[in-house]
Amino acid sequence: MAKTKGYPETFEKKLKDTRMEADAQHPEFTEEIERISMTIPHMCYQCGTCTASCPSAPRSSYRIRKFMRRALLGLEDEALTDPDLWLCTTCYSCTDRCPRDIAPTDVIMAMRNLAAKRDIIPVNFLKTVQAIYKTGHGVPNNDVNRAARTKLGLSAEPPTTHGYPEFIKGIQVILDHYGLKDRADKIVKEMEG
Amino acid sequence: MHEYAFYLGCIAPNRYPGCEASAIKTSEKLGIKLLELHGASCCPAPGAFGSIDLNIWYAMAARNVILAEQMGKDIALICNGCYKSIYEVNEKLKKHDELRDGVNEVLKEIDMEFKGSINVWHLAELLYDPEICGVDKIRDSITVPLSGTKIAVHYGCHLMKPKKERHFGTSEHPTWIEEMVAALGATPVEYRNKMLCCGAGGGVRGYDLPHALDITNEKMINLQEVGVDALTEVCPFCQLQYDRGQIEIEEKFGIHYGLPVLHYCELLGLAQGMSPQELALDLHAISCEPFLEKIL
Amino acid sequence: MKATEKKPEEPRVGVFVCHCGTNIAGSIDIEAVQKYAESLPNVAFADNYQYMCSTPGQNKIIDAIKEHNLTGVVVAACTPRLHEPTFRVASKEGGLNPFRFEMANIREQNSWVHMHDREGATEKAKDTVRIAVAKASMLEDLYPKSVPVEHTAMVVGAGIAGMQAALDLANAGIKTYLIEKDPTIGGRMSQLDKTFPTLDCSQCILTPKMVDVGRAENIELMTYSEVENVEGYIGNFDVTIRKKARGVLTPVEAEAKGIVGGGCNGCGDCDAVCPVIKPNTFEMGMKPRKAIYIQHPQVVPLIYTIDFDSCIKCGLCVEACGDKKAIDLEMEDEFITVKVGTAILATGYDIFQIEKKDEWGYKKFDNVITSLEFERLICASGPTGGHLVRPSDGATPKKIAFLLCAGSRDNTGVGKPYCSRFCCMYSLKHAHQIIEKIPGATPYLFYMDIRSFGKMYEEFYYRIQDEGARFIRGRASNVLEDPDTKNLIVMADDTLLDRPVNLEVDMVVLAAAVQPSEETDPVRKLFGVSCSQDGWLLEAHPKLNPCGTTTAGVYLAGVCQGPKDIPDTVASAEGAASAASIPIHMGEVELEPYFAQCREELCAGCGMCVNLCPYGALALVEKEGRKIMEVTEAKCKGCGTCGGFCPGGAIYMQHFTTPQIVAQIDAFLLGGEE
Repeated sequence: MAKTKGYPETFEKKLKDTRMEADAQHPEFTEEIERISMTIPHMCYQCGTCTASCPSAPRSSYRIRKFMRRALLGLEDEALTDPDLWLCTTCYSCTDRCPRDIAPTDVIMAMRNLAAKRDIIPVNFLKTVQAIYKTGHGVPNNDVNRAARTKLGLSAEPPTTHGYPEFIKGIQVILDHYGLKDRADKIVKEMEG
Repeated sequence: MHEYAFYLGCIAPNRYPGCEASAIKTSEKLGIKLLELHGASCCPAPGAFGSIDLNIWYAMAARNVILAEQMGKDIALICNGCYKSIYEVNEKLKKHDELRDGVNEVLKEIDMEFKGSINVWHLAELLYDPEICGVDKIRDSITVPLSGTKIAVHYGCHLMKPKKERHFGTSEHPTWIEEMVAALGATPVEYRNKMLCCGAGGGVRGYDLPHALDITNEKMINLQEVGVDALTEVCPFCQLQYDRGQIEIEEKFGIHYGLPVLHYCELLGLAQGMSPQELALDLHAISCEPFLEKIL
Repeated sequence: MKATEKKPEEPRVGVFVCHCGTNIAGSIDIEAVQKYAESLPNVAFADNYQYMCSTPGQNKIIDAIKEHNLTGVVVAACTPRLHEPTFRVASKEGGLNPFRFEMANIREQNSWVHMHDREGATEKAKDTVRIAVAKASMLEDLYPKSVPVEHTAMVVGAGIAGMQAALDLANAGIKTYLIEKDPTIGGRMSQLDKTFPTLDCSQCILTPKMVDVGRAENIELMTYSEVENVEGYIGNFDVTIRKKARGVLTPVEAEAKGIVGGGCNGCGDCDAVCPVIKPNTFEMGMKPRKAIYIQHPQVVPLIYTIDFDSCIKCGLCVEACGDKKAIDLEMEDEFITVKVGTAILATGYDIFQIEKKDEWGYKKFDNVITSLEFERLICASGPTGGHLVRPSDGATPKKIAFLLCAGSRDNTGVGKPYCSRFCCMYSLKHAHQIIEKIPGATPYLFYMDIRSFGKMYEEFYYRIQDEGARFIRGRASNVLEDPDTKNLIVMADDTLLDRPVNLEVDMVVLAAAVQPSEETDPVRKLFGVSCSQDGWLLEAHPKLNPCGTTTAGVYLAGVCQGPKDIPDTVASAEGAASAASIPIHMGEVELEPYFAQCREELCAGCGMCVNLCPYGALALVEKEGRKIMEVTEAKCKGCGTCGGFCPGGAIYMQHFTTPQIVAQIDAFLLGGEE
């Protein structure tokens, strides 16, 4: 991480020492990633096949290859705080083509899990959690749709947790086991004030 | 009659119920009975949930699988995203004892246990499989051939990839859904980079909509280049991205396409004589009229 | 042969425990093992030393044999595969029969795998020594059998490796059979246009060698032939060759049939009238040939060949041949068995089926070709006269992409995990050829690394970069095709610039992985040669014996042992020829005496063992009015099948007798400290 130079703030930011040093490399981070993702980022030889396959790379600064490098080197803070981490569409093209048989998509998912542990989760994900906690669905039913369903001869509510709301309790138990609802509420509140 | 527990997901029943209705009706005509599965939840969305905590993803998906285990029926579903959650978790928990034990620990709290007793199928593969249905049977079942229409196929991502964990053959140049389109009497059309993602997955549609739409726009440009009457897919989430997405692209980028986007089940419904009303096509953001004019 | 009489003597075994520096002493308490050895029955003397294999170490054995009147020696050290010969020689120098030596492996099978359990390792070492002493107490004098070596060699495969090996053997005065499956010799090198780094014309430097091979008195060249069967052992291989029916007589063969002035002279009149057209595999299928054909104008021997799988036997060629009467449409395959002393395998390579990596579109997109196909196109004697053209429309490409590591360094299970070694260099060469031949053309090389490892190779890389080749450091993830122009779009990541790349090019050349040729597997099985983990043929030792195999008398030359460029191929061929000539020049080899022996007084002559022997080494003979079994020691490999089977216990395996093995088992299970 950058060391402070004692300059005025604008210069502190502009001229910060970006050299990678040993203390930025956390081997436990690499191990944790490999444990969660069940793949082997330490074998990456930076061929670039993954980035070449990536739909997000040409239109942003997101580089799956760089995230793999960070996983290999254990650059935890850099990886988890990078907003580009959330630009992966999980299309799995990189995983399909990686010649070292690594699954970069799963590495991203593992990193997102670890970021989430630090309460770094974009708000749209948390809204989905809240919807599921409330209704069992990430995209719940609405009146326009209920009318349409009835017209089609289907039940207004599908036979899911909508039609059988007694099952919602079970979902809530699972989510509460991980304390996810409370964390989601908390973070959303912090973000939206 | 081949019977399956019909896992619905979220977007099909709650935004495009025509997919649900047509799936049930057309499958029945083809010898596949889709039975009601009660109490299922969101799969959960692999991009949204898996990103936060994979353990919760495993547990929630397992819960959905168990509902079908309790019915003693394999699951059939119509969404690539749901396929990833339900199929993959089912396979992974069957294979990895430690993972399964961990999940069952949590599910104990709601008196449920994953047993690994059923299989999970995408309806498209069931329709394609000659042992269950097959393209010939599809062809024989249609009454309103979609002749004169050019239809492109969007395979999506989670159905075919990663190919190591799937059984659909090549993920670079597949042609099996084009065969199914041809069976409806339409002309399947290839286009540049057809296997590119729609852009919606991984939570990106919610996280950075313009970014996701830019990916969709690249596909729209490639489709426009070859000139098609409709785009078909087997994933309601891709459908949402293309359908609502074209409106959003027009709003944000000022480009108009007006390309009808239909789930294969909707196309199959039309070809089997279901009316646009029976398929709730009016719920589509992009009007299907130009396409319907050609076939009706 | 009667069993060697066992000397009725009290066994006196000497035990020597080696430290091997810290290799053994680091995990095992040497002193404790020595002390334990001293307590064992039959042990007359025990000692230890830092490095038993050293001169002072060996002298300890020699001195102890004499001083303590030893009848057997045990050295507890490394694997016998390394130093059994060393200590056998030392025992011999001490005056003991070398087969009274037994090795106890307490390194590879003990100290190296139990480094964190000193106590356990030491106890295990004591057990190992105890077992070895039990056997050493029962060892007998044995004598290796000398067999003569046939003064003839065989080389299978006549590419540059096989040709070089055959020439070296022939020049050393050894008659050599050179067997080649194709109608002509020359192999892959004759398909190449130029060779790196010198940019020599490949055929120009190869054809002199081809002519030499054709003319060499000591080389009996058998083209369009394959190895059918191999029997025997070093010095005495009986190899059956299938001379495939060529349908065409050589002048020598014609004369033997009484046709004066006849036989094929390569005029080609038959080719002109043949109605059947097939793809020419020498031209990678890009040029046609007839059912009666030669692969290219410089073939050796210059004899036409009929592909009977496609010949319709219309007879037009027979007519065109006229008085030469060189064509025999009814010719059949012929089988010839020859005896050779040693053999060299030089079976070469094929290109991997790169269509299996379907992301690059080979066999799907017209203008995606392999490097070998590129060689034929760019070669002046190739199907397009050296003009590089696009298969889709015959146009000259201006932008050509070379995809390196295509199918190599691939751990997905589809491609090959190894590096194919010479593709970086030939891709540089291809880039050069593009720049030289097509004004305004640009080669783009998509690479992960440029492995320019050899002499003048890095300088060649410098030169090619200087000439204007564009290098993009990123492995191509996939290739798309424009359906109208048939142009290709290569997708890669310029990892150095950190930007994704979409490059539209006219043609894509895949530097595809190489793999052992199709014929390698059946041939190697006939000769009893193993495969390495990566599929190439297994050398005796990767560093110290890359040209030998663990099958005595069989050697490896060229790419069949592993990918190589031409300099390394020729070097390995020379190495193999040298190694193969040694037993021949010595005239005899010693076989280790691990033979089966028949105790005639116990043999009932039932003959059931004879059919069990996988090497055909046993036979029933008439002796003194009864039938008993006799072992042909030279054929016996000591596998023990007959010895384990004989219901009367008449067969015993020298150096692995039942009493010896039982003694070892008893020593292990019943001996040991309380």
